Amino acid sequence: MKPVLPRTLRSAVLLLLVVGILFLSLSGFLRPILGIVMDPFVTAQRWLSQRFLAVYDFFTLPRDVTDLLQRNAILEDEVSALQSQVIQLQEQLREAEVLYSLLDFARARPQEKYIAAAVIGLDPSPFLQYMIIDHGSDDGIRHGMPVVTQQGLVGRIDAVTASAARVQLITDSGLAVNVRLQRTNEEAQIMGSLTGEVTLEMVAQDVPLESGDILLTSGIGGNFPGDILVGQVLEVEKTETALFQTASVQTAVDFTALRAVLVISNFAVININPLIPTPVQ
Amino acid sequence: MLVQYLSVPFMLIFSVLQMTAISRINLLNGSADIILLAIAAWGIREKGRDVILWALMGGLMVSFISAMPLLSPIVPYLATALISRLFQERVWQSPILSMIIVVVAGTIIQHIFSILVLQFTGLDIPLMEGLSEVTLPSLLLNFFFLFPVFFVVNDTARLILKEEIYD
Repeated sequence: MKPVLPRTLRSAVLLLLVVGILFLSLSGFLRPILGIVMDPFVTAQRWLSQRFLAVYDFFTLPRDVTDLLQRNAILEDEVSALQSQVIQLQEQLREAEVLYSLLDFARARPQEKYIAAAVIGLDPSPFLQYMIIDHGSDDGIRHGMPVVTQQGLVGRIDAVTASAARVQLITDSGLAVNVRLQRTNEEAQIMGSLTGEVTLEMVAQDVPLESGDILLTSGIGGNFPGDILVGQVLEVEKTETALFQTASVQTAVDFTALRAVLVISNFAVININPLIPTPVQ
Repeated sequence: MLVQYLSVPFMLIFSVLQMTAISRINLLNGSADIILLAIAAWGIREKGRDVILWALMGGLMVSFISAMPLLSPIVPYLATALISRLFQERVWQSPILSMIIVVVAGTIIQHIFSILVLQFTGLDIPLMEGLSEVTLPSLLLNFFFLFPVFFVVNDTARLILKEEIYD
């Protein structure tokens, strides 16, 4: 018996049917029908999946938690190790910055030779402004050598051992430094005090002293080389009856944050005491 | 005896600590003195008769480090040691109270003595300014470090004395 439809026509109808269904599906007309057909399957799959995952978690989670705890501990150790490394590196960076700035200062004054030293302590007595550095006579440091930083004058070497030295700061009440006012070129003297404050003294009444005036070492007296920054005038005190005017001084060096210093090793301290006339009795 | 030799490492550690850390902790112009605190803490103990040795050791080490006139730091430490023994005999039931009194007396003696010695060497240090600007803040800082030093010294003493009994 001959088929009702020829094979080619049947194929064409089938193709049209598939294309039609595809078209209907893509255009969204089949969504309600698909929803009705698929929803029970999706619900069943969700239910099964939830139960399976619950059972899976029940058997696998304790082991995973242990693994995670171990891993967490390892990571925490690593984090602490890295944090301490970061702190060390930051510290090294800070030291390097200090040393670079000291190097810049040394390069700017090529006529002087420097020995770099770290500050390792302060005098135990609160009445004295001294500090201890980690270089001594073995490194060429001698009594009286001036001590500076890139900021300015720090003080002078007061006592030396083989591997350490004690520095008398310019804020100490026992140290006087001869200075020069940069603007007017007038000579004066700075004195430290018990509280670490520095005052400018021996400035004649007719000298125009102003707040903000820069003070440099004068080199007079032979204890310090000239033209090292000391600080600037903060507040001028001028009284009519006084012989000299005085002023409070802001030092260029921040002594509370001092970490490293430079000792000027080729400066010969001149002892002028024999030249000072003594009263005849 | 082991206890007598203990003063050397103890004072060495306290001197280094004082120089590197404690002296940097300032209140106004004052700073704490943990060597004095250690001497006081050792002296108020019942078996702290060798505190004079501690005072001598502490004084010698500070003399070596400090710019104070040679051997002058020994005197206030010896005075503190003597006061601590005096209080140990009288207020032995309350060591903390003894410690506070000894530290106050020791600090004041130390500072007055330091000012007088420095004045004698030619420095211009007014006594009243020194007491108000340095001594009072130092006293407060000494109070701050008093309890930690007291407990460290006492625990160490207990540990060492226990060892001695078995020796």
